[in-house]
Order: sequence, then structure tokens, then C-alpha cells
Amino acid sequence: MSALIQLKNVKKTYKRGKESITIFDGLNLTIEQGDFVAIMGPSGSGKTTLLNLLGGTDRSDSGEINFDGERIDGYNEGQLAGWRARSVGFIFQFYNLMPVLNAAQNVELPLMLTKLSASKRRANVETALKIVGLWDRAKHKPKELSGGQQQRVAIARAIVSDPKFLLCDEPTGDLDRTTANDILGTLQQLNQDLGKTIVMVTHDPEAARFAKRTLHLDKGVFAEVTQ
Amino acid sequence: MTDLDLVWKNLFRKPLRTILLTVSIFMAFLIFGILTSLNVALDRASESGSASNRLVVSNKINFTQSMPYAYINRVAAIPGVTAVTYQNWFGAYYQDQRTSRFVGFAVDPETYMSIFHDDARLTDAERKAFLSERTGVIVGKSLADRYGWKVGQTIPISSNIYSQANGRRSWDMKISGIFTGAKPTDPTTAIYFHYDYMNETITFNRDQVGTITVVTASPDQNDQVAKAIDANFANSPAETSTVDEKTFSRAFLKQAGDLNFIVTMVVSAAFAAILMIVSTTLVSAMRERTKEIGVMKTLGFSSPRVLRMVLGEAVLLSSLGAVLGLGTSAFILTGLSKSPVGSSFGDLSMSPVVALSGLALAVSLGLVTGAVPALSALRMSIIEALNRG
Amino acid sequence: MSLLNQTGSVIAMNVRSIPQRLWMSLATVGSIALVVAVLLGFLSLANGFNQTLKGSGAPDVAIALRDGSAAELNSVVSREQIDLLGQGPGVRAGPDGRPLISAELVLIVDGIKKSTGTKANMPLRGIGPNGLLVRPQAKITQGRMFTPGSNEIVVGAGLLREFSGFELGKTLRFGAQTWKVVGVFEASGTVFESELWADAPVIQSLFKRGSTFQTARVGLTSPAAMPAFVKYVKDEQRLQLKAQSEQTYFADQAERSGLIIKYFGWPLGIIMAIGALAGALNTMYASVSSRAAEIATLRVIGFSGFSAFIGTMVEALVLSALGALVGVAICAVGFNGLSASTLGAGFTQVAFRLQIGPDIIGQAVTLALIIGLIGGIFPGVRASRQRPLLALAT
Repeated sequence: MSALIQLKNVKKTYKRGKESITIFDGLNLTIEQGDFVAIMGPSGSGKTTLLNLLGGTDRSDSGEINFDGERIDGYNEGQLAGWRARSVGFIFQFYNLMPVLNAAQNVELPLMLTKLSASKRRANVETALKIVGLWDRAKHKPKELSGGQQQRVAIARAIVSDPKFLLCDEPTGDLDRTTANDILGTLQQLNQDLGKTIVMVTHDPEAARFAKRTLHLDKGVFAEVTQ
Repeated sequence: MTDLDLVWKNLFRKPLRTILLTVSIFMAFLIFGILTSLNVALDRASESGSASNRLVVSNKINFTQSMPYAYINRVAAIPGVTAVTYQNWFGAYYQDQRTSRFVGFAVDPETYMSIFHDDARLTDAERKAFLSERTGVIVGKSLADRYGWKVGQTIPISSNIYSQANGRRSWDMKISGIFTGAKPTDPTTAIYFHYDYMNETITFNRDQVGTITVVTASPDQNDQVAKAIDANFANSPAETSTVDEKTFSRAFLKQAGDLNFIVTMVVSAAFAAILMIVSTTLVSAMRERTKEIGVMKTLGFSSPRVLRMVLGEAVLLSSLGAVLGLGTSAFILTGLSKSPVGSSFGDLSMSPVVALSGLALAVSLGLVTGAVPALSALRMSIIEALNRG
Repeated sequence: MSLLNQTGSVIAMNVRSIPQRLWMSLATVGSIALVVAVLLGFLSLANGFNQTLKGSGAPDVAIALRDGSAAELNSVVSREQIDLLGQGPGVRAGPDGRPLISAELVLIVDGIKKSTGTKANMPLRGIGPNGLLVRPQAKITQGRMFTPGSNEIVVGAGLLREFSGFELGKTLRFGAQTWKVVGVFEASGTVFESELWADAPVIQSLFKRGSTFQTARVGLTSPAAMPAFVKYVKDEQRLQLKAQSEQTYFADQAERSGLIIKYFGWPLGIIMAIGALAGALNTMYASVSSRAAEIATLRVIGFSGFSAFIGTMVEALVLSALGALVGVAICAVGFNGLSASTLGAGFTQVAFRLQIGPDIIGQAVTLALIIGLIGGIFPGVRASRQRPLLALAT
């Protein structure tokens, strides 16, 4: 298996007024294709920053960030946006669906960044919703769906343009135990049956157990615990 | 789903809010449509029927002063003059001085019809009747419709200036024809009758003419002919002032006041008001969507694309209200132009110029009101956006 | 807590929370201010014009025109008729012992309207020696009165404000004759200030009017003598004239002309008001929804729905009252006293000033408060319907 994601000697510092806070001072990370990694850590550990670096929504001060052979650490805003559209599927803690759109339209959003025809888009949306088992709710608006259902629509949205990997930020943070396990099971399925590489940031050890391995981040440094 | 679909759905996120904003915008464009059209109509009225090679000769003191009848032949003799006619204001009204006054001129039918045949259109039979009948009068279609006048009918036309030797204030006139204007929208609220019939019966101001219309060989001779005419009568008891027809009508219409200024002020006030209302509401509405914009950017929508969508929403909103407002004002204007007051304004319908400038205004309004929210959406960092909530 | 106290507290909370929605609230105040300013502007225009006309008539001066003529220009009055008028009941004696009558005629001459730069109709009035005496409001303030028999003119101060070409000392040409402006007279708040005066006989001869006039202004001993004089003129067969009190004469004109501006101003004001109302409703709905959690909590504590309703209503009324204040201020400072002129009933220009007044201010402010009322009712009802909740679902 080839390395999909590689971080080499990544440094990141935040400036707040006169204070500088160093988050990463030479971070290294390798994630193989097909991996399902959980990243855990206390608040202030750099979890969120890592999430933003992996998702291309923040830039490192120095170091290399490689995705499938593509170096994104030098990209500007526009290039990063384009990269995100083709490479990453995002799943957020609070689903972040658009309330004015129904489930199918929400799932279609990432496809608006492609040049696919309308019929192809419809087909992709249908496939994605069927994978998460919500094709019968395609015309429902978010407010008509439960928390778990909304998250599944969000998952469908994340996979609809067949991105290289999925990035999840506390995907079960807002759900009860049963629903959470449902969602995590779906993620596992995506990983095992469809070979999707998944990186999941979480504070919940129960959720981390669904992943193949867990990385602990503390004060900007990794310590690994394998399953 | 296209970007437009998304923009449209976002527009109606809170339907009541969008409806209220549309009402405000609608009102402003209603005001714009009606007032600007009135202003344009007034300007147009001064030009309707004006030919570029026609001049008006009037007494230099004021056009309400008359000139001797003998002037006509002297004017005709000026080089560059190809045709001459004259008219006398009659102060005409029908039955009630307070409510039924209209334009009424005593003219020389033959020379008048030869110059103005296009502006007061008659059938050949009607024209023949007018020329031969001494008490004949031709009336405009609007007036005929208003009072139910028919060709061949004899009507009493009164004057609030003159009276006959027998003390009577009205003259019996036989309708020779009903005329229409060059364009269907030209005003037809006037009557024309024989100068001789009036002149032979009035008790004072005989053998005088009110204004003289001159046709020049070509428009570039206007200036020279006008100067020649005025030079001819300089230092006589009745000096003349000769200007082209357009200038004459326009000066007359501007006497009421600077309508331009008033219209500009009112329309500006209306737009200042909706600018305030719409822009503050859009800013507040966009603030609700900070997170969503962050998500869109995260998914990969470029900042310029997001900017376009926010601006597009603002432009769509103002265009909606504008189209409704302009459409309604066009509708109202057509109704107004049928009323007695309105028909004397002439062409009150909305001109393409007004409609187009209204639409341009709508787009500008959208861009201005959408500017602040659009720029903040453009510059928003994803991290901040997603954190705010 | 009593209902009154409750309501008072909620009102205070509502008003104190306005800065949270500062921009939208300011927009409401601003748009209402503009509505008030525009409406009041038009009403001041109409009011100023009306006041000038109404203020021109004296109750003890009768004006006589040819029976059937609605305007001076169309009237004809002869020497003989003037003498007959002098024999009427109640006619005051002038300083020379003869009846106080001013026989006058008006001609229209051209002037240049300053605001548009185009030609306008100016009234040139030939008056007699009694001209000033039948116009107690008028007096010469610069230069002097014209010398009888000469080509001299005095010009009204109002005319000077609005039209160019008639300044003191200037030589004018009307037709073939030259005239000199030797004085300026003031007759503040009347139409007389919009006129040029010269000696009647000179006008008659130079404009070939023979010995005819157009009107006669007759001074009576008192306003009470008016009815008898009017009746005398009506009954006297040889006269063929109609006399009326100058006040009635101008009041009629005022009524007819003021309507146009009113028919323009009010519809405009109402259309703008609806636009501002939509904006106010928007602001108030936003106010209610942004404070939904706060209201819900208050309801839990025990505040009544009614207090929430009143709180919202008062917030709306406060905004509209502020708007009204600003609008009136704009008008009072920016428009009041502004000089204007338009075509009057006599086909000549009348110069006047925009005039604000308590009753028109009242009308405009009422419109603003109505906007506030309606703008507060519907959102207020929504506020009162907010259920008591410990936590609001987002």
C-alpha cells in the first residue's frame, strides 16, 4: 500500500498579538491508502490545527505536506479550494447541511464543483444516498431528519464525488450512543468495502475503537497506540 | 442544480423577510417609474409635433401680447421663409369655464393645414369642409370623445377673453372634422377654427395675431431667418422674438417649476431609504450564514464563486422588486394617460429609456447593497467561519 | 409583579436592546425620517403657496372684474364703470377726498426664471395713485416709488428673489420702450411681491390700451360694508361687473392651486410610507427573533405575553418617533423658508416661500407613528405568542 498522506517536518505557529504559540515544531505523519486512523488528544494538543492542515483549510509555516504525490504546502487559496474539491470529503460534528436544500440537493453540492452532466450527477447522488440507506428520504429537508439521518446525508455528501479520503471532525460528538455506533459502522463499511481512506479526529475512545489504529496527539507530538 | 438555483433558494430562506424587502424595493421603483416617466413626458410634450425647420414668432414683450396682422406678409417676404401661418389664443372653453377649458386657436385654415396637416390629421372630405365652412371647427379626438361631439354637429365655443358685439361670449361653430395626431399618443385636446369668423365679431383687439409659425427652407437656415425676422421689426411698436418651435414649447412647459429638480430629489430620497433598509437587512442575513459559507468554501467553492453568489442574491432581490415596480408603474401610466388630465401630457407610456435605466438602477442597487456582505464572505477565513457557531 | 411593572421592565429591556440591532434600527429611523421629510416638504410647498395667496387679500378691499371673467387678464373695466363704482355704499374716501379706488391693468412681460434659466411670465401692473393705499401690507423699502407719467418701475422683493433681470437701477426694454427700475417694494407673504408696478396711464398709452383697465380695487370703510357693496355692484345694470372681497378672491385661487401639490404629495408620501413600513416590520421581526431566547426565559419567570407585545410595540414606536423627529428637523432646517415660484392662477409667476406649520407637522408625524404602530403590532403578536421555554432548540 502506498502512502497517501505524508507530512514531513511540518511547523505551525499562531500569533496572538505579541504572543506566539507554537503548535507543531517539526511534525511527521504517514497515512497509507485504505487506512482508517483515529486521532485523539486533549484540547490544546493541536488536533484542530492538524485537521485544518490535512483538509487544506489552513497552511503550514514550513515543511512538506504530500497527498498522493501532490505537494499542497505551497498552494494558494484558489489552488487549495480546487484541491479540496477533488480530494477530500468532509464530515463535521454538527453535520453542516444547508437548511434550504433537501437531502439530495445537499449531497449534490460537491458535484457543482465538477463538470459532470445533470444526469450523471443525479446518478451519483442516488448511489451515494443508497450507500447510506437514505434514498427514500431524498426529498426531505434537514429539519425533517433526525441527527443520525442528517449525519448520514453528510456522509453521502462527503463520498458523492469519490474523493481520495474522508476527513471527519468529531462525527459522533452530537449523537447518542446507538446512533453513533450506526454512523461509525457506516464509516467502517466505507473503509472496508469501498477502500476509502478515513482520518477521524475524536475525543471519544469508544469511537476510536472503530478505527484501524489510533494516534495520540499531545502538545503537538504523536504517540501511537495500535489496535 | 445550478448556482442560480442555490441563490434563488437562499433568497427565500426566510420568505417573510424577502417579501417585506421586495415590497420596499417595489415602492421605490414604482415612484421612480411614474415620476421619471412624467418628467420625460413633459420633455417629450415640448417636442411632439415640433419639426426641426419650424420657427415661432411672438411679440418680444411676451407671447401673450399680440402683433399686427400686417406682419404676416412682411414675414413671408423674408428670404429663407417657405411658408407662414398664424394662430390666436382664444381662451376657449365649453359650457363651464372652471372645468372645461382646452386649447383653442383661431387660424387661417388653408395655410395652417398646409403646414400642420401631419399633426392634425383629417380625411380629405373633412379638410375640404373645414376650408369652405366659415364657422367650421376641427376638434381633436380626445375632446370629441370626452364631450360626445360628432361631425356636422354645431357646438357653442365660449371665450374667457373675448365677447361679441351683442354681448354674447360664445360662438356657434360647426364641426367639420375630428383630427388625430401624428402618433397615436400625441395629445388631441385642441380645436382650430376660422380667424375671420372670430376677427369680424370680437369687440377689441381686431386685426391682431398671437403667434406666427414660419417654415424655413432647411434647419440650418433657422438661425439666420430668425435673426432676419426680428431685425425687420426692431424699433417698431411691436418688436418680435423668433425661436425654434422646440425652444418655445419647452420654455412654456417649464413655467410650472423645476420638475426635474423635484423628481430627482424625491427619487433620491426613496432610493436612499431602501438602500438603508436593504443593505442592513442583507448584512444581518448574511451573518446568519457565516458557517454555511465556511462549509461551502471547505467543500471547495472558490472565494470568487462565493462572492458571485452573494452578490447574485442581492441583485436578484432588487431585480425582483424592480421588475414588479416598473411593471406596475407602466400599468398605472397607461391608466393615467386615459384620464382627462393625463391626456394633455401626451405620451405618458413608459419609454424604453426609463425602463432600461430602471433595470440598470436595480442592478446597481443590488451590487451596492450586496457589497458589504459579499466582501466579508469573500475574505472570510474558513477556520473562523466554522468556529463561529 | 403587577402588569404595569412588568410592562415597564419589558419596555426598558426592549429599548435597551436596540443597540444590538443597531444598523437595522438606524435604517428604520432613517427611512421613516425620509418619508416624513418628503411629505412635509410637499406639504410646506403647498402651505407656503396657500398662505401667500390667502395673506394677499384684505377684508376691507373689494376687487371688481368684468362679470364672467375668472382672471384679471380677461377682464375689461372702463373709466365710466370706475366712476360708478365710486358711488357705491361704504366706499372709503382717500386722502384727496375722492373715493379710494385703484384702477389697474396687468400685462405679461418676460423674465428669466433663476431655477430653470428659461423665460417666464411676469406681471407688469399699471396702478394708480391709490395703488399703495389699497395694499396696506406693501411699502417701498429701497429706492422710491415711480413718478407718475414716467417710464419708471418698482419691483417686488419676491420677484427679485426668483427672477433675474429686474435689479434696482436696471434699465429694461419691453418691446420698443425702455423702463427704469427705481425702487423695490416689500409685501411679505402676499402675491403682490411677485409683481412689477408702473403708472397705469403710461402702460395704457404705450401698450395701446386706450383708457380701459382690467380691475378696480375699492377700499371700503370696514369689512362689514362688503356685503352691501357687492350687492350694489350686482344690482347696478350699467355696471356688468362682479365685485367680491379680495380675501374671497384669493382664497378661491388658493383652493384651486393648492390641490395639485396636495394630490402629488400625499400619494407620494403614502407610497414611501408603505416602503418604510415593510422595512420597519422587517426590523421588528428581526428584533423579536433575535431576542427569542430572552423572551422565552422571561415567560418562564412569569412575565405575561401582553408585556412582550407592549415591549415590542413601544420599541417600534420609539424608532418611528425618532424618525419623525429627524424628518421634521431636516425639513425645518433644510426646506423651511426656501424660495420657490410657480405659475399662478393669473397665468403669471407667483413667488412664495416654503412654510412649515404645526398642523402639517402634525400630519407628517402622525403618518410616522402609524408606521410605527403597524410595524409593531404584528411582530408584537408574535412576541406575545413565544412559549415559555427553558432552552430554545436551534
